[in-house]
Amino acid sequence: MSTGAVATESPARPASSARAGYAVTLGLRLLNRYSFAFALLLTVALLATTIVRDPDPWSNGFWVGLLQNMAPMALAAMASTPAIISGGGGFDLSISPLMYFLAEVFIVWLAPHSLGGFASVPIVLGLGAAIGAFNGLLIILLRVPPVVATLAVFFVLIGVDLRMLANPNEGGYLSPSNWVVHLADKVGPIPGGVFTLGFPLLVWFLLGLLPYRRTLYAVGSNDATAFASGVNVALVRVVAYSLGGLFAGVASLALVAISLSANPSLSQSYTLLAIAAVALGGTSLWGGRGGLFGSLLGAASIYLLGNLLLTLQVDPSYLQVMYGGMLLVAVVLGGVAARARQAE
Amino acid sequence: MTTTDAAVPAEAVETPPVLVRMTAMAKAFGPTQAVRDASFELRSGEVHALVGENGSGKSTLVKLLSGVHAPDAGTIELLGLETPSLRTPRAAQDAGVVTVFQEVLVAEARSVLDNVWLGVDTLVRQRVGRREKRVRAREALAELLGRPLDLDKAVEELSLSERQACCIVRALLRDPRILILDEATSSLDVATRDRLFGIVSRLTRSGVGAIFITHRMDEISEIGDRITVMRSGETVATLARGSWTPRELVRLMTGSDQLTERAREDGGAVAERRGDVALSARGLRLRAGRRPMDVEIHAGELVGVAGLEGHGQDAFLDALRGAGAVDGAIVRHVGGRDEPVGSPTRAARLGVAYVPRERRQTLFGWMSIRENFGMPTLSADSRRGWLRLRLTRRRLNEYVARLGIVLGDPGDPITTLSGGNQQKVAISRWLAADPRVLLLNDPTRGIDVGAKRDLYALLTELAQEGRAVVMLSSELDEHVELMDRVLVFREHELFRELDHASLSREALVSAFFGEDGESG
Repeated sequence: MSTGAVATESPARPASSARAGYAVTLGLRLLNRYSFAFALLLTVALLATTIVRDPDPWSNGFWVGLLQNMAPMALAAMASTPAIISGGGGFDLSISPLMYFLAEVFIVWLAPHSLGGFASVPIVLGLGAAIGAFNGLLIILLRVPPVVATLAVFFVLIGVDLRMLANPNEGGYLSPSNWVVHLADKVGPIPGGVFTLGFPLLVWFLLGLLPYRRTLYAVGSNDATAFASGVNVALVRVVAYSLGGLFAGVASLALVAISLSANPSLSQSYTLLAIAAVALGGTSLWGGRGGLFGSLLGAASIYLLGNLLLTLQVDPSYLQVMYGGMLLVAVVLGGVAARARQAE
Repeated sequence: MTTTDAAVPAEAVETPPVLVRMTAMAKAFGPTQAVRDASFELRSGEVHALVGENGSGKSTLVKLLSGVHAPDAGTIELLGLETPSLRTPRAAQDAGVVTVFQEVLVAEARSVLDNVWLGVDTLVRQRVGRREKRVRAREALAELLGRPLDLDKAVEELSLSERQACCIVRALLRDPRILILDEATSSLDVATRDRLFGIVSRLTRSGVGAIFITHRMDEISEIGDRITVMRSGETVATLARGSWTPRELVRLMTGSDQLTERAREDGGAVAERRGDVALSARGLRLRAGRRPMDVEIHAGELVGVAGLEGHGQDAFLDALRGAGAVDGAIVRHVGGRDEPVGSPTRAARLGVAYVPRERRQTLFGWMSIRENFGMPTLSADSRRGWLRLRLTRRRLNEYVARLGIVLGDPGDPITTLSGGNQQKVAISRWLAADPRVLLLNDPTRGIDVGAKRDLYALLTELAQEGRAVVMLSSELDEHVELMDRVLVFREHELFRELDHASLSREALVSAFFGEDGESG
């Protein structure tokens, strides 16, 4: 009978633990409202540490170098984002080899045929968008799971990359006078990275002025609902993959800008990091939540951490462990936030 | 109930124009012929109820009209014109056909505003301005819910009733010519439902035609101008208001004269099967600051859990099965000992079984009927560690006969069964574990009359075997017909307990609304 007497008033909690509880609730609220909150915090902390440790952080070179080196990975992450937001298991694994493919198109085809000027921009971006759309169509029309479809394209593109530039030493380098080097340096007083990284964000912002972006999130959140409400779900998804391809085009320019080349044997180097950055940035891998800005911050965290450990001369093998740990924390936090959301 | 329509000869009234005419429609999904030969007509200004048991093809028929499925055969005429191309919901909506589907379809992560206007705009052009959207959404939601709803709140933070309201408002905002409500009231509270009926009446007065699918007789008689009855994928009759009785409707739906109204057991029989206390709640508080309650559930007893939606009934069942943080103690009495129920696992071990409301939560959609049945009790089918499928099948067959489960082959996917039969499989799975206390969360929601009848018989039988049955139900008649005792919840407190003698629809409803039972 003693079990029945439990229902008494719980003793008043100490004020400090109540305050801590409040802070946790507030943190989770923040994370629910701004899914990139964790990545933002991480980026700010890592950036602060980097600045403190750098001998001359306010020089021009510091920021230019930071942005140019971070750009390809951050752009790969942003390019991976729309497909993931579109839901339905949306994924585009082919972004990294696509970047290298477009970079090689630029170096091997466009530049030698005097199309290496500004004319190359619409060609590279357009080709990227077209290949992205092809991925989307493959998934929609053949009803292949996105991971499988884009994995197939991933392999095909890696093969094509290797074939196109069998020997990087023969015609695999761009003339240093090409305009594209400015993207890795400065355009007037502004670091080139601002343009490459800013382009997807600008496109994303402009899409927010159209009904498209809202519709994309709704499709990602629940495609059956969207379909029943009269949304052309297939078209929305194809456009999402196409956007990914478009951003991969920008990424390819950022890539070429750094090294004036594109080593095809590195074709797959950004695939997993991009996905990690997206997840770290708070975008739900189930679709419908998150955004491009989060992916940028996620990529920034990963880049800054790597950079920092390098300057601290930490054994690079620990780097991977740190990436993993960071990703785990981000995903668990996202899960906790989701649970808090449901409980409310 | 009494209208002038029935009294005035049909010829004297000018017949309103026909909005929809569907002729000889047919649709099959694989081997299942969902709609066989259905013809249906909707006139301007009428509410046309579509009734039938589950699996009779109502939902499929309206999905053919909504552009979700393409028909195998048959013609659809809209406003007198044959319309071959309702190939997507979008096409249907552009033709003025707007549907609220049976499933509560919302984009969980998106705001209320985004949800109610979803699909109205094209991808590049807004068809309705931003400000107008807010104003109209606010007005429509307030009219339906009777109170304002925060437009910027994510839908996942809303109650089920509010979510369904969002689905209805989404349809209303499209200014339908033809409004289809497919069990759209199943999660609404009574007041919201009445307001919806008011809105539908207003729309029909302005020439809109409404198709209304429901499992509730009272709703049909309240709002239906004409009724079309479906059975096994065919439309069997269309009746005008006033020219039908519930009995006749049930006969048309089932094809037999059997009625749902079971003879109620008398009080003596009820007292006889009532045994010792099997499960009790002591000082249970469903929410902080609410009055604690003491409840005792006896063996051999059928206890109903009732109340307006969201007044703590679900929390009560959760508490009984050891889930959810509660204040107070739940104790299972086994053979003179008191065992505290601390977790669902403990509860299951102590012979307390729980059948959740959402069948999707309990059933494995990709697995076969047999596997779905046998899953939690697999150990009963293994010999020397090897699983024997024959044993599972034999055990399943027992329940198939007892519950009247209609199935083809036990190896077929569970999804090939109708909702009612799926529910029977879900319940028989728990019965196979031989529970002493069975907790059911609205088991008859959305299942057909025949399956309900079978379930009632089964539950009574279980009580007679000395098991305690606690059942949450949102249907009044179910409580009145089936229960020995009903616990009415209000604002997360046990508001009233109605015993066998005082149980009636009126007593229940007055308790729902917190009125004094004695005066009402």
